[in-house]
Amino acid sequence: MPVERALRVGIGGPVGSGKSSLIAALCRELADRRVGVVTNDIYTTEDAEFLRATGVLPEERITAVQTGGCPHTAIRDDIAANLEAVAELEAATGPLDLVFVESGGDNLTAIFSPGLADVQVFVIDVAAGDDIPRKGGPGIARADLLAINKTDLAPLVGSDVELMVREAEARRDGLPVHPLSLRSEHGAAPIAAWVRDRLEAFAAHGHLHSSVEGVPDHTH
Amino acid sequence: MDALALLLADSRFPSGSYAHSLGLEQAVADGLTDVPAFAAARQRLVAEADARIAVAARRGEDPLALDEEWCARCPSPVLREAARRLGSQLLRSAETVWPDERIAAYREASSATPRPVALGVVGAVAGLDDEAVALLALYDDAATVTSAALKLLPLDPAVTTRWLAELAPSMQRAAREAAADTRPVAAQPAPAAVALELAAAVHQRKRERLFAS
Repeated sequence: MPVERALRVGIGGPVGSGKSSLIAALCRELADRRVGVVTNDIYTTEDAEFLRATGVLPEERITAVQTGGCPHTAIRDDIAANLEAVAELEAATGPLDLVFVESGGDNLTAIFSPGLADVQVFVIDVAAGDDIPRKGGPGIARADLLAINKTDLAPLVGSDVELMVREAEARRDGLPVHPLSLRSEHGAAPIAAWVRDRLEAFAAHGHLHSSVEGVPDHTH
Repeated sequence: MDALALLLADSRFPSGSYAHSLGLEQAVADGLTDVPAFAAARQRLVAEADARIAVAARRGEDPLALDEEWCARCPSPVLREAARRLGSQLLRSAETVWPDERIAAYREASSATPRPVALGVVGAVAGLDDEAVALLALYDDAATVTSAALKLLPLDPAVTTRWLAELAPSMQRAAREAAADTRPVAAQPAPAAVALELAAAVHQRKRERLFAS
């Protein structure tokens, strides 16, 4: 089945967990693909500005959505502005293979609507405390991939990465958990490999089965 | 009472209006504290004319000609862009709710999609009458302002809801008048809100803001 639109990958997680840095690293890893980014801002266009400043993408491939202080609404309950932003990005730049939609930093209950993100990554970090996976929430339990970021900081902040991975896996029923340090030798390569795999499956089938997919639309 | 009018009035209808304050954010930054006065001024200066455009679109006047009529009443590029976004977001969701050729055709043909015209097109498809469509335009304007006020000022949400309730009689009156006016839109009253147009440009240039408008 030919695919007529970009794969939409949601990148969610709390404020400061490293979503923007992960996206910048993924853009570098995926430089051979046509990538766009939609950021969701809480108060400023900081995330979009950060990404533009990294120079990983041409400026016109990055756009920002204003969320009226409701970042979770913008990615879950009312995704109209984000869908419009993705469509406008594709219309302005030509066809894209992949659009990362970065959520505004939110709490553990935020998750992307499957109407917006074909697949989604939830990013937490060791510095927020190693009890975060135990606290759970839909992002930790059901995101297609859970990244536990900043593992290089674990000894400095007294967090136990193995415990975090174990407790996350216990909640995720076989869904992948990736410890991640963007400062390590491999950086975002394992996540980029996972994204490439999703891209191939999307190109082949025109659709992906996300772990957060809801009830089918019965008019179809 | 029409259930589909309630559906369109419900802030849970996914049309992205939660990200807009319709000028209140900049007004508060400029020192405004009297939110009910702001909402009432918008009713007189903006929402009533929007309601009349929405009614014309519901009656089946050419929506592309109405785009031009609406843009002629709103010279601010910033406000045109905000209304375009709100309109296109409404149409996007409405097309899923009501897979009807009229919505698809307008969405395809219009580059301006101001929200009042979009609302009238959707209202026609939903089978609403003129007064319901006018009331929706008026109510949505005030409710977007009072809802944004909660994020901008320390307010009790029950109090902002009371402000909306206090506007209800004037909304109903304005909706009845818009529905009863059979003149073409070009002959109907169209006041201007120049202060809002000027403030919108200032708001757009601000680095720190919660709202898209």
